[in-house]
Amino acid sequence: MAEQNRTIPCAELEADLVLLHYGDLDDGPRAELRSHSANCAGCSAYLTELATLLPLAVASDAPAQEFWMDYNRELRHKIDAAVESKSWWQRFTAMFRPGYLPAFATAAVVVLALTITFGNGLWSGKHGVNEDELSEALPVAENLEFFRAMDVLDDLDLLEVIGGGAKDAA
Amino acid sequence: MACLQPAEELEIFRRPLHSDANERVSGKGRTSQLAHSGDEELVALAQQGDRRAFEELIERHKQKAYHIAFGFARDREEAKDLSQEAFLKAFSYLKNFDGRSSFYTWFYRIVVNVCLDYKRRAKRTSAGEFDENIESEMEPSHTPSRPLAPEQHVLAGQLSRKVDAALQKLPAKQRTAFILKNNQGLSIREIADMMETAEGTVKVHLHRAVTALRLSLAELA
Repeated sequence: MAEQNRTIPCAELEADLVLLHYGDLDDGPRAELRSHSANCAGCSAYLTELATLLPLAVASDAPAQEFWMDYNRELRHKIDAAVESKSWWQRFTAMFRPGYLPAFATAAVVVLALTITFGNGLWSGKHGVNEDELSEALPVAENLEFFRAMDVLDDLDLLEVIGGGAKDAA
Repeated sequence: MACLQPAEELEIFRRPLHSDANERVSGKGRTSQLAHSGDEELVALAQQGDRRAFEELIERHKQKAYHIAFGFARDREEAKDLSQEAFLKAFSYLKNFDGRSSFYTWFYRIVVNVCLDYKRRAKRTSAGEFDENIESEMEPSHTPSRPLAPEQHVLAGQLSRKVDAALQKLPAKQRTAFILKNNQGLSIREIADMMETAEGTVKVHLHRAVTALRLSLAELA
């Protein structure tokens, strides 16, 4: 292993070397790996490389105190807004919870029964005939009666014709 | 822990901060009392509608949540929005928290999921639209605590973009394991709990992520 390329660690130890770098190995394996690395140029170089490169990947940011004050204020407003927007919706959906359904059904049946019993003429306003429309329709209806009477006369004429024919035949 | 119905949950969170039990202990005493309570105790109080208890949880976890989000977004405003979104989700789903894992694990799992969702959305939105020239003109969005010389600022910007690009190429699980380990210094066990996977799997993700980043960043060393 010691004869390996200086920049290439021992393949089977590479994953453990990453954990060693992060201090995430138990005492036993850590001591073993440290002892190995001390004698292995490849593993030693790999550890050095990790120690140089990986801190570069740390995204560090240290916002000032004002940032955190804004942060708290903004978050409080967002939570308030969330509670408000949820409240009306949850009140609405809460009405349809299974526990309330029998009460709703009973109420609906009672309203329906009352409407049928006492609701005669309740909707008549909507279906009622306008006075003007009625005054226009009445003469037409009277005329209809007239024409029906004329039909009877026509029938009489027909009877007479039939009756006359019968007399002639006699 | 008692699960509350949605409407009840709502009502309790609509109560004024100083109602009920809060009235017994007022002001600083109450704050100090909450500050000495454990997370689980605060969660139980928050589930009963104690908004102050939830605010104490925010106070405890906001910095870590922000820094995890910053690891993913590498932008101050986005990290702020993402970590706040995680708190909002935690607030909304607190009634579903059953205490099987610690609040810490449960909450940081939310943070990671919010960040991964954000990355997925960002990828979809920017696919094919991102211009390399525009990218090279961008400045790093976070302000370092110590002012940098102009050339250092340029280098820091380049490095930040390079690392960001390298991280973007990683699969989501490798990226998550790497950020939680490298940026946050969480233990493998904690990361496994947050990612709901085995410790061995986290080690594999971490190793692969380090190998890929090592290749990408080697020229900067």
